[in-house]
Formats: sequence, structure tokens, C-alpha cells
Amino acid sequence: MSTINFAAREINCKIVYYGPGVAGKTTNLKWIYKQVDDSVKGEMVSLATEDERTLFFDFLPIDLGTVQGFKTRFHLYTVPGQVFYNASRKLILRGVDGIIFVADSAPNRLRANAESMRNLRENLQEYNLSLDEIPMIVQFNKRDLPDAMPIEMLRAVVDPKGQFPFQEGAASSGGGVFETLRAVSKMVLERLAKSK
Amino acid sequence: MIEPSIALYGEAFAKVTASLDELLTKAHVRYAMLVDRKGFVLAHREALWAPKPPTLDSIATLIAGNAAATSALAKLLGERRFNELVHQGERIGLYVEEISNEGLLVVIFDETAPIGRVKLFAKKSIEEISGLIDSLGSVETTNADLGNDFALDASALLDDLFKGM
Repeated sequence: MSTINFAAREINCKIVYYGPGVAGKTTNLKWIYKQVDDSVKGEMVSLATEDERTLFFDFLPIDLGTVQGFKTRFHLYTVPGQVFYNASRKLILRGVDGIIFVADSAPNRLRANAESMRNLRENLQEYNLSLDEIPMIVQFNKRDLPDAMPIEMLRAVVDPKGQFPFQEGAASSGGGVFETLRAVSKMVLERLAKSK
Repeated sequence: MIEPSIALYGEAFAKVTASLDELLTKAHVRYAMLVDRKGFVLAHREALWAPKPPTLDSIATLIAGNAAATSALAKLLGERRFNELVHQGERIGLYVEEISNEGLLVVIFDETAPIGRVKLFAKKSIEEISGLIDSLGSVETTNADLGNDFALDASALLDDLFKGM
């Protein structure tokens, strides 16, 4: 449930990029960091291994500005995608307001996508949360791969009930990056406005 | 939504900054901060002679991440928690200790401050600040109906932010 700190007149929304390893979560964040004006972004923090696998998290704060007297900020986080790092992944999900599930369109990552989605549900459960309440959008990334799987097939695996909105992406060249972030941000803010 | 776990304003804020100022002077450290476990900077003071600090948001987020990892480690090992954390480099040192359940005191010092003195005055500050925090209780939040205007305004700002991208 969303709560607002009236004393501070501040609203901080935590958006987490989730998904299997090498799906492009950090690439999404790097693109945002590169494109967004200096005046609205903070420093990007990246905790990665030598071969650029996220080890703990990436973090990027973005200032939306003042909405109805509330200073509104987005905290963008990515989780480590590698199955191995579940303990740290769980820590990042704490207090999440919105999720961007970055799925990999490569044919050999189909199973990894499905496993990551299952893992997300399990980890949320530990915080007594579920995907029925947390706004989520799926980004089918790497649409620029020559052998990218058809969206219908990916969706059948990642979101068989067709429950979540989705966006196509090619994050390494910025494709779909802002569209995805904008869509989930709107969902988060709408939920915030409606919460009672 | 994430928000600071401690509401630190007015008189309480003044008392915390006074305590941090005293720590700065007596222990001769560069920066003293109170952050919460979610990575928000609640109060920050820096010595007049200290160079400009790195981005505070980055420091606070990393400290909170580190604290979360350390406490997960403690639990794995059957400990309730590990209290303090010290990192010392060739010139710069970092000392972190928890204050009450939600807060973390972060002290950044250089070779002019011996670690013993840092710890001594940090503990004194912690005592002062933790009493204060406990008396504040948790953040009072209201589940408010921000209304349609909020959604519309926010949406317009979002469009503006991502304009042309």
C-alpha cells in the first residue's frame, strides 16, 4: 500500500528492473543515464563484476519535479540477473513500487525468462507482495536480434495469462527504454493517486 | 513507496546536527552523516576544512546496501546483527555503526584522525542520537488520496521529462 510522507512533502518511488541475466537491465539504466538531462539525474551507482555482470545492484535517482507540492523522485534499481545472486536480488525488492521485467528475446533464454519470473513471484511472496498489486510492465528486449523469438511465444512463457502490459525493446540502441519507464512510472503514480 | 524511516525535522533535526557537529570537531573527521537503512540521507555535516564530499545519495545507497548485506550475513551465521563496520584505506577511513533500529551513523575521516578517537566520539553521538530517535517513534504516514489532479500533473511532468526521447 502506498503511503505519503506529508511532513517531508516528498514522494519517493522505487522502480526495479528484474529479469534473467544478460537480458539488458543495466543497459536500460545506462541508456537513461546517458540521455537524461544532468539537472534531473543523480550519479549512477553500479556494483558489477569484472565481466560486467551486476553483482548487487545499479542505482539511478531521477527527479520528476514538484507535483502538487510534493517533491517527486524515482529511484531506479536493477537486480543481479544471475540465478546465483538470489540473496542480493531479494534485498533490492524490498519496498518496491513498480517493476520492469526485462525479458530476453534470444531463443536460448526462453527458459531463463520463465525461471526469473517464477523467482520474482517467490521473492515478492517473502515480502507478502504479489504481482496482482505491484504495477509491472514486461519489456521484451533484444528485438534487434536476427533470431529474436516471436512476441506471442515469449509472452506465452513469461506471462501466459496476458496479465501485464508489454513493450518491445532494443535497449543497447535505446529502443523502447523510455517508453517502458514512462509506462511503469505512470502506473506507479496512478496507483499512488488512487490509494486510500 | 519508499520513504525515510525516521521523520527528522525541526528541533530533533537541530539536535542531531548539533551532535554531528560536535563529532566533527572533537574527532576531527571530514564528514558525519545520519542515513537510514533504506539509503536516505537524514542529516549531513561536513568539516569546514574538508574537500567537497562525493555525491551523498550514492554514499547513502551504498552504505544501506552494505548494511543490508552485512545483516543478511549476520543472520546466516546465527548472529542477530553485526554492529559496526570499519573500512580503512591508505588515507581515508569509513566507520559505520547502527543507531537505533533504523538509522546508521556514517563517519568519513582521514589520516589525521586516529580510529580510536573516531570510535570514541562516534559512540557518544550514537548514544545522544539514538535516544532522540527512539523518542520520535516511526514516521507518521498518511494513506492519502492525492486525487486526479496529482495523477494528471505527474503525467504531464513525465511527458515533459521524456520529451523527444
